[in-house]
Amino acid sequence: MAGALVRLRAARWSRPALALVVAVLLVLLPLVSSPYVNYQVTTMAVFAVALLGLNVVMGYAGQVSLGQSAFIGIGAYVAGYGTTHGWPLLLTFLLCCLLPGVVGMLVALAAARLRGLALAMVTIALPIVGTPVAKRLSDVTGGSQGLTVSWLDPPSWVALADDQWRYYVVVAIAAVVFLLTRNLVRGRVGRSFAIVRDNEAVALSMGISPYRTKVLAFTLASTIGGASGFLYLAVVQYTSPETLSFGTSINLVVAMVIGGSGSIAGAVLGAVYYVLVPVLAGQLDASRTALLSGAFLLLVLFVLPGGLVSLPRRVQQLLTRRRRRSATPSDDPGDRTGTPVLTSDGRTP
Amino acid sequence: MKSVQHPRRLSGAVALIGVTALLVSGCTREEASTPSSSGTAEASPGITDTTVSLGISSPLSGATAGPGSCTVAGLDSFLEAKNAEGGFTFGDGKTRKVTLEYLDDAYDPAKAVANFRQLVNKGIFAYVGALGTPTNAAVMPIANQQEVPQVLLTAGAGEFSDDQQANPWTSGFVPTYTTEGAAFGKLLVDANQPITVATLVQNDDYGTGYLDGFQSAIEGSQVKVLDSATYEPTDTSVDGQVTQLAASKADVLLSAVSVTPLQVGVLTKAQSLGWKPRIFLPSNTSTPATVLQPGGAAAYPDVYTPSFAKTPASPAFANDPDVQAYNTAFEQYGSKITKTYTPHCAWSYAEGAVLGEAFSTMEEPTREAFMTSLRSISGFQAPLLLDGITIDTTKEDQAAVFTVNLVRYNGTGYEPVQGY
Repeated sequence: MAGALVRLRAARWSRPALALVVAVLLVLLPLVSSPYVNYQVTTMAVFAVALLGLNVVMGYAGQVSLGQSAFIGIGAYVAGYGTTHGWPLLLTFLLCCLLPGVVGMLVALAAARLRGLALAMVTIALPIVGTPVAKRLSDVTGGSQGLTVSWLDPPSWVALADDQWRYYVVVAIAAVVFLLTRNLVRGRVGRSFAIVRDNEAVALSMGISPYRTKVLAFTLASTIGGASGFLYLAVVQYTSPETLSFGTSINLVVAMVIGGSGSIAGAVLGAVYYVLVPVLAGQLDASRTALLSGAFLLLVLFVLPGGLVSLPRRVQQLLTRRRRRSATPSDDPGDRTGTPVLTSDGRTP
Repeated sequence: MKSVQHPRRLSGAVALIGVTALLVSGCTREEASTPSSSGTAEASPGITDTTVSLGISSPLSGATAGPGSCTVAGLDSFLEAKNAEGGFTFGDGKTRKVTLEYLDDAYDPAKAVANFRQLVNKGIFAYVGALGTPTNAAVMPIANQQEVPQVLLTAGAGEFSDDQQANPWTSGFVPTYTTEGAAFGKLLVDANQPITVATLVQNDDYGTGYLDGFQSAIEGSQVKVLDSATYEPTDTSVDGQVTQLAASKADVLLSAVSVTPLQVGVLTKAQSLGWKPRIFLPSNTSTPATVLQPGGAAAYPDVYTPSFAKTPASPAFANDPDVQAYNTAFEQYGSKITKTYTPHCAWSYAEGAVLGEAFSTMEEPTREAFMTSLRSISGFQAPLLLDGITIDTTKEDQAAVFTVNLVRYNGTGYEPVQGY
């Protein structure tokens, strides 16, 4: 009992301390690393935001969405259009969130009446329809050759290179989005998401409308997706119909599951996976990246079914088991009752 | 209990990110470029007195993996074979061996940019031969800003070649779609007789490029377009469009379909309707083994396609010394990267020779000197190019190859064609 109390206290101070360390690292990182590393870390921030949006609708509210890439694409196109037409930055950013949010809400108003696979099918339609539409609206989108922008150069009073400035802008916006979303999913809205995910009948009995909650979750997800589209354009400086492609959506879902669904940190880890694993696979053998990424996916799903976010818990679990085994060689089942923690794979440790 | 578990999980995850960030930041920024040991001009990154390093990012996985892998395999075959002979002779009198770093971008622009930056970070001298319009379009502004050569691209869109003033560090290699369409039109016009045509093109700027080239070539001639249809690359079937076009009973079908299964569908559907026009196929969907044989192309009076390179597997070229050299080199080096042949393997092999030609007149080990040499090649007969086709990089609005020959399917492979 005393041990648990110590651990509780340790957790209390170690968490802000760690957050501080990470924050300092994130601030210092671009100053010492190469433009390539900055680009990769900034890309991670972009996809972390996209995954966060997906996490809201899939992880927290439990609704399948295979259309997240469409919202990134819309956000990126709005940002591209705004940039080429000289709109103020803030207005562009707001529209990047608003327009995908409205599209997401309109789709959700119809789609949220469905469940499971039927819902998945409706959301698939977004990238499938979005890609050819983006190609067709070539006046706005630049057709299949895409939209190239030269944007977000550091202002003259800042002595930073392009990549460093973009890093700070993107990471700062991403941090704000994460903070807002974290507060949201921990509050009343987050609790209603969880109830709708677990049992719609219970939600109804508590006066929570599952339909409205689902629409809200979709709208939030697409708004956050739009924000990540804005960030995408800031980093890549280019967007094309490929951004909306269905393949991106699927890869995002995979990354979300690998990072850890229904978890804020999971979204970050998923983004690290999304960006880093193809690079590492490319270092091993560039002509077999898909195979190696697939092998890694299977490995994670076998060893860490709760995603990368469950890694520390998993390691601790294994350590405790070993310690306990060495302490009490006669495997005493009564000892287990003291740890009523359910692991992600549903078994007690 | 949950309140105890949750922070611990979060802090653990945060710790993990911290470790990752530390690992990533291990590679610190280096501003210094590779110092040159000799010469008047300071050497650009990626080139020493004995080596040059090149980089390429192409789709090596996903739907475009076949052509993408070939752009690496063919180039690597040429470079490695030349290295084995001792290396490339440069205009400054030195002999250097060339290394090729290749990465997979899966046709994703964001990954292509990441790969480009990674390659530049590793210190490549030039970025060569990459396949894909969106991927190269995303890289182009960065390459031009950082003044890294992004040259001899395997992309049929005009934008990489048609404004060399605006993008002095970028150049295309293969003929544009407009060039291909124009070649078809010219063949029909040269026949000097009334010919009716039906067209089927992809509903985007690729298709428009094809159609523009074709229409400007037939303008004012006896060639008439009776009916046109478009399709989406995501379509699963073009039977409806083929049925519509068959009603026109046109003499010629221009089937600018770039998706392999759909092109096979066009060939099988038209003959099942009893419509057997002469068929024009674009170069990227005209491989006999994957399109013509499954589509039963032998049923049509003629199947034409534009071509500028010899098909190494064709019996017609079995005794050609270039083809034999290619086959030996590909067997030894390229087959490690891909075993499936697409025309891109032959193209990128020829591209290796163009690089060699540029190296041979490059008098200083700098990127500027390389671009100058590369932009002043004309009348160069690269290996594997068809007779009559030469490399000319001096035109300010054209790719390195801007002429194509039309070839005709003879039941097994392609042979040169002398007219309609």
